[in-house]
Amino acid sequence: MLVHIDGPWSPLLGRLALTEIPYKNPILVGTFLFAVVLAVVLVGLTTYFGFWRTLWRDWLTSVDHKKIGIMYILIGLVMLFRGFIDAVMMRTQQAMAVGPHSAGYLDAVHGYLTPYHFDQIYTAHGTIMILFAATPLLVGIMNILVPLQIGARDMAYPYLNAVSLWLTAAGAALVMASLFIGDFAHAGWFGIVPVMELPYSPGVGVDYWMWAFQLSSIGTTLGGINLLATIVKMRAPGMTWGRLPIFTWASLSANLISLTTFPVVTVALALLALDRYLGTHFYTAGLGGNLMLYNDLFWIWGHPEVYFVILPAFGMISEIIPTFAEKPLFGYMGMVVASLGIAGVSWGVWLHHFFTMAAAPAVNAFFSITTMAVGIPTGVKVFNWAFTMFRGRLRFDLPMMWASAALFFLLVGGLTGMMNAFATNDYMVHNSVFVVAHFHMMLLLIVYAIFGGVNYWFPKVFGFRLEQRFGRMFFWLFTAGTAVVFVPMFTLGFMGMTRRLDYVAFPQWQPLLDIEVVGIVIYVLSAAFLVAQLYVSLRDRAQNRVGADAWGTSRSLEWITHSPVPFYNFAVTPEVHARDERSWRHERGLDDAAPVVYEDIHMPCKTAIPLGLGALGFGLAFALVWRIWWLALLCSGAIVALIVIRAFMTGTSYTIPARDVEKMEHDRKRGAAKPARAQVPGGSPAPVLGGGT
Amino acid sequence: MGIHVHLRVFAGRDYMTESNHSTFEHPEVQLAGTGYVAAYVAGIALMGLSLMLVKDHALDPTALGIAISGIAGLAALLQCVLLLHMTLSRTQIWQTVALVLFVPLFILTIGLTSWMFHGLYQRTMLRPIAASQAMAPAPLRAPR
Ligand code: HEM
Ligand SMILES: [Cu+2]
Repeated sequence: MLVHIDGPWSPLLGRLALTEIPYKNPILVGTFLFAVVLAVVLVGLTTYFGFWRTLWRDWLTSVDHKKIGIMYILIGLVMLFRGFIDAVMMRTQQAMAVGPHSAGYLDAVHGYLTPYHFDQIYTAHGTIMILFAATPLLVGIMNILVPLQIGARDMAYPYLNAVSLWLTAAGAALVMASLFIGDFAHAGWFGIVPVMELPYSPGVGVDYWMWAFQLSSIGTTLGGINLLATIVKMRAPGMTWGRLPIFTWASLSANLISLTTFPVVTVALALLALDRYLGTHFYTAGLGGNLMLYNDLFWIWGHPEVYFVILPAFGMISEIIPTFAEKPLFGYMGMVVASLGIAGVSWGVWLHHFFTMAAAPAVNAFFSITTMAVGIPTGVKVFNWAFTMFRGRLRFDLPMMWASAALFFLLVGGLTGMMNAFATNDYMVHNSVFVVAHFHMMLLLIVYAIFGGVNYWFPKVFGFRLEQRFGRMFFWLFTAGTAVVFVPMFTLGFMGMTRRLDYVAFPQWQPLLDIEVVGIVIYVLSAAFLVAQLYVSLRDRAQNRVGADAWGTSRSLEWITHSPVPFYNFAVTPEVHARDERSWRHERGLDDAAPVVYEDIHMPCKTAIPLGLGALGFGLAFALVWRIWWLALLCSGAIVALIVIRAFMTGTSYTIPARDVEKMEHDRKRGAAKPARAQVPGGSPAPVLGGGT
Repeated sequence: MGIHVHLRVFAGRDYMTESNHSTFEHPEVQLAGTGYVAAYVAGIALMGLSLMLVKDHALDPTALGIAISGIAGLAALLQCVLLLHMTLSRTQIWQTVALVLFVPLFILTIGLTSWMFHGLYQRTMLRPIAASQAMAPAPLRAPR
C-alpha cells in the first residue's frame, strides 16, 4: 500500500542514514557549531544559576496563560531570528549573483548558495515567518491579554492551552531539525504543485515542511477554540459584549478565522501526505489529479490566515492609540463591525492569489471586487484611529511610536494590495518582487504592532517598563532598514524582477540589489540596539517599576490588577461597569479600592502531560518524515495513552483559600517597593499540585 | 457612586474545565453513550465505501462525483446527530450555533470553487477524471 521510494531504507532507521547529515556544507556546519555553543552556554547558565527546578516547575509544566503566552512569544522571537538570518542570506546571494561574470563560491556557480540551497532558504523563511514567528507572537499576546481583559482567571481550557503551545514548539523544532538532518522543502512557503509530489521532490524536505506545518496548524486550531470559548464563556460579571475591550474583539474575530480555516489547510496537507505516502493522485499532473485543487485549498486557508495575523495587530493598535491620545477610542462599534467584516470578507477573496491561472473572466472579476471590498472595513478602522488621535493629547512614548508607524505601513501595503487586486494589473506584477514587497509591508505592519504591543504591555506582565532611549534608536534604525530594503524592492518589481531568483540575469538591477543589502545591514545594526534596550531595561528594572496602570492613562480592565500580574490574575473577580473600566474607576477615585471580602480561588494544577504530548508529536512527525514506521506507531500509541491517562487523572485543580489570597494581597501591598522573591516574571509561581499555598 | 457595586464579590460559576470529578461522570461522557462509537464506525464504513468506489472506478466520472458527494453529506449528517448532538438545549446550543455558522462558509467556498473549476475546465484543462479513465493506474515511481 505504501508508495515505493527510491534509495536506501531500513526497518530500524527508515530513510535516515549518516549521509543525510550535511557535514560537508560549511554554512550548515557553522550554524551547527553556533547552535551547539548556544546550547552549552544556556545549559551552563541554567545550571550556574540553579534555574532547572524553576524552569521545570514554573515554566515547562505550567498551564498559566501568562507563562504560556510568554513561552509562545519566546518561540516566536527565536524563529524571527532564524527567519531573519534566512533573509540576510537571500539578500546577499541576490546581490552577489548578478550577471554571467559574477563569481561563485562554495560549489555555487554564482554567489555562494547553490540553487537547491537557495530554494530551501526562501521556503524556510516564509514558512517560519508566517507560521512560527508572526503566529506564535500574536497567539502569545492573545493568550496573555484576553483572560486579563475579560476578568477571567485563566483560559477556558488551561490544559489544552499548554497542548497547543507544545504542538507549536514541536513544529518549530522540526523546522530547526531539518537544518542538520536532511533537507527542508524547496517548493516555496505555500508549496508549488506538482513540485511537492514525490517524483519531483523525492527527498525528505517536503515531508519536513508538511509535518511541521501540520503540527503548528493543529496547535493553532486548538488555540483558536480555546480563545473563542474563553471569550464567550469566561467574561466577568458586567463584561457585556458592548463593553468587551477592543483587542478582545479583534482576538474573537481572528480566532473565528482560525477555527474555520485552519482545518482546510489540515485537509489540504493531509491529501498531500496521502499522495506522497500512499500514492494517491489528488494533486498529481495526471491520473486524475488536479493541480489547481491544491492552490484552491491552500489559499482558502492562506488568505484568511493573513487576516488572522493582521486582526490582533489592529487590535493592539486600537488599544495603544487611545491610551496615548488620552481619549476613548473613536467609533467603538464601527471598529467591532469592521473586525468582524474583515473576518467575513476574508473567506471570499482567496482566488486573487492565482488570478493568472486563467479562470473565466467573471470569476476573476468577482474575486477582484471582493478583494477590493476589504478596503471598506479597513478604511473604517483607519479613520477611527485618525479621529481618536484628532484633538487628543498625543504622547509619543515607544508603544505609540510603533503603533503610529504601523499605520503608515497599512497605507502602503493596503494600496499596493489594491493594485494587485485588479486582476488585469495582477497579470503584470504576479510572481514579481512587487508582490513580495506588498506583503512585507503588511507583515511589517504586524511586526510594528507587535513591538508596540510588547512595549505597551511589558510592564503589565513583568512589573517594569522597557527602557526608551535605546528603544527609540532601535525604532528609527529598524524603520530606516525597512525603507532602504523595500523601496528598491518595489522598484525592482515594477522593472519586472521575478521573485525567488538565485541568479539575476540583468546587471542593470545590481545597484538596487546593493541598496537592499545596505538596508539589511541597517536591520542588523538595529538589532544591536534592541539587545541594548533589553539589557538596560533588565539592569535598571528597579527604577522602572510601575503600579497597576503603567502608563497613567490606560483604559481597559487588565490595568486594574497588579503589575506583574499575580498567578490568579484578580484577587476577586472584578465587576465591570463600563467599556473602559479602568478609566471609569479612575474617574471615580477607585484606583486603590481593596475588596472587603475575599473568596476561595479555584485554579488548575500544573502538568507535564502537554510537554510530553509535544515531544511525542515531534517524534511522530520526525518518524513520518524519515518513514521510520515502528517509531511512528510507538509515538501514536503513546499519544493516545497519555490523553487517556490524563482523562482519568483526578486532582487536576486546587483551591486557594480566601485567607491565603488575602495574605498574598497584603504582602504585595507591603512589599510593593521591594518585590518579593516569589514575584518571578509573569506572576508568582503556582503552588505544588493539590497543595494550598 | 458605585463603590458598593465595585466591591461586591462575584460568586458566580467557575467555568474552567479543570475538575476533580470522576471521568465517567463528566457531562461530555454522559452525553456520548453509544453515539460516539456508532458515529465513528459509520464514518469509517462510509469512507471505506467511497474508497472502494474510487479505487475500482466503479461508476462513470459524473456518477462517481455525485455518489461521493452524497456519501460525504450522509457522513456529515450522521456526525451532526450522533457526535455533536445538535440541539437547542443549554448545554448544546453553542455546538449547534458553531455548526450552523459553518454552513454559509461551506456554500461560499465550495460554491465558488465549483464555479471557478467549471470555467477553468472549459478554458484550459482536460477533464481530469476522463483523463484518468484513459490511463490505467500505474505505480508511482520517483525518477532515477
Ligand atoms: C487591503 C488589503 C489587501 C489586499 C487588497 C491584498 C491583495 C493581495 C493580492 C491581490 C495578492 C496577490 C498578488 C499576486 O500574487 O499576484 C496578495 C498577495 C499577498 N498578500 Fe495581500 N492584500 C491585502 C492585505 C494583506 C494582508 C493584511 C496581508 C498579511 C498580513 C497580506 C499578505 C499577502 C501575502 C503573504 C501575499 C502573497 C503570498 C505569496 O504569493 O507568497 N495581504 N495580496
Ligand atoms: Cu490574499
